[in-house]
Amino acid sequence: MNQSPGHVLTASKVKFAYRPGQNVLDGVDLAAAAGRLVCVLGANGSGKTTLLGCLLGRLRPSGGRIELDGRAIDSYLPRSRARLMAYVPQQPAVAFAFTAAEIVLTGRLSHIGILGLTSSRDREIGRAAMEMTGTLDFADRMLDELSGGEAQCVMIARALAQQPSVLLLDEPTSHLDIANQLKIYRMMRRLADDWAMAVVCVSHDINLASRFADELVLMRRGRVVAGGAVAQVIDREILAETYGVQIDLIEAPGGSGPIVQAR
Amino acid sequence: MTRAPMTLPHAVTGRKLLLWVVGLSLAVVGLGLLCSLVGQHRLTVGIWRIRLYRGAAAAVVGAALAVAGLALQALLRNPLAEPYILGISSGSGVGVLCGLALAAHLDLPSWATTPTLAMVGGLATSVVVYAISHRRGRMDPYVLLLAGVMINVFNGALILVILQFTQPTEMIHFIGWGMGKVPEWIWSAPILLIVGAAIVLGAWGILLARGAAFNALGLGDEVASSTGVSVHSLRIWTFVLVSLMTAMAVSLAGPIGFLGLIVPHVCRMLIGPDHRLLVIVSGFGGAVFLMTADTLCRLIDIWTGMGELPVGVITAMTGGPFFIYLLRTRRGGGAL
Repeated sequence: MNQSPGHVLTASKVKFAYRPGQNVLDGVDLAAAAGRLVCVLGANGSGKTTLLGCLLGRLRPSGGRIELDGRAIDSYLPRSRARLMAYVPQQPAVAFAFTAAEIVLTGRLSHIGILGLTSSRDREIGRAAMEMTGTLDFADRMLDELSGGEAQCVMIARALAQQPSVLLLDEPTSHLDIANQLKIYRMMRRLADDWAMAVVCVSHDINLASRFADELVLMRRGRVVAGGAVAQVIDREILAETYGVQIDLIEAPGGSGPIVQAR
Repeated sequence: MTRAPMTLPHAVTGRKLLLWVVGLSLAVVGLGLLCSLVGQHRLTVGIWRIRLYRGAAAAVVGAALAVAGLALQALLRNPLAEPYILGISSGSGVGVLCGLALAAHLDLPSWATTPTLAMVGGLATSVVVYAISHRRGRMDPYVLLLAGVMINVFNGALILVILQFTQPTEMIHFIGWGMGKVPEWIWSAPILLIVGAAIVLGAWGILLARGAAFNALGLGDEVASSTGVSVHSLRIWTFVLVSLMTAMAVSLAGPIGFLGLIVPHVCRMLIGPDHRLLVIVSGFGGAVFLMTADTLCRLIDIWTGMGELPVGVITAMTGGPFFIYLLRTRRGGGAL
């Protein structure tokens, strides 16, 4: 057992292949502790989304072990897993015309009874989640009437309504403008700091990730190239090798760490 | 500035569900009694009994098709899905044709051939569709849709081949079945109605308990799964229940088009997309719609004397325009 205390979600030596012999993940390690924001970076096709699929329990690794709260992830029933871990997709989408509040309340599913009826306590929890994400003002509006940033905040509120210890996000800012990107990262930071959640976010934005995250995991071709504190990972050589382009590190005004720029 | 509410609105409460169930049950029973009083013959106890049975059959078939349609739309996240897309009605058609051929040689009561073989044909088709769409332990909704479309075409061709070898006199029976009709003979075989009602009520009850899961499924497989829905088992169970209900409806009344598509839609436009409530309201909505349409068939016969129209004609001709009216006037409520 190499799970260190305090880690809510750990992946050790995880392997995964869609086809035999072609490992998309080849021994990936990741650990997320309560109160920490971990960002997973890497080029397209490096296995980030596959890793997320394994962490969510949707894909079954061919090797290695994933543990949630000290127990193998595949030993959980979906319901009990959902009480510990929630997920925010890349792009919010809903098939029918649900309001923001109705979407948030679907997050209570693993806590409610057979008829799926929410109690007043469920609705209070949903309200608190919407308050935290700043979505309460448009609780009655449909998802497709909201801007991309607002809709993504609704999806985060929905995940928070699950009252999870671990929050997984799949490139939550990829369709958003810079103001909304900043808003989502600040929100993730607050969830780690004030709500003591372990937040794992797959991202393409190296600069925002290195500014807000506690730890970075840099992936390339199904392996972790570098992992750990931001300063260890944001290295010109490592980044250049990972992305296959020349990298400049520019010192940011105010001393908040270097800005990564591809040449 | 709007004041933030203390808790979130739009909650479906147990009391609300119960009120809907009780209210709609009373409405259906009331409508059934009312419809049974209308008709072309002088009302005797015998005729009244026949009409009550027929009304009950219409209610069961209508509820089955509407709930099946709703469940499929939720499952496939496709508001245009309807129960016959699984190939069940065409499979039943093949069954019925085989049954008619068989009946020409054997002396069997009418309920033992058409309805029974329609059921067998429909269920056999759904098993094939299931086998196609189920790969590596998962059911792919898109493959399911494609498999249904494909099997429908295949069964259509099979029906044409069988018709080629069928006597014209038997062909008329098949065409009659194919137009869709609420069975008048059902009073002579009440056991079929009881079995049908039991299947529909059981399946309806199970699907009712899946309402919240259907809501979550609307957000995508991954979100639903991370929320605690066993997406795979939900798909399989819904498929099985929808198949049973549709095969049951088709075997009793033939293929009645449009109802499974339109009733869930209209209900969604009227009360919103929450499946916890929709499963209940759609079922009763289907029952009310088919009972009314069937009574209208009988009334038109009285007024015009041209004989009873197939109920499918009425459902399409009245439901279609009403559907378009709702679509044009209610924005957002039931987005396509």
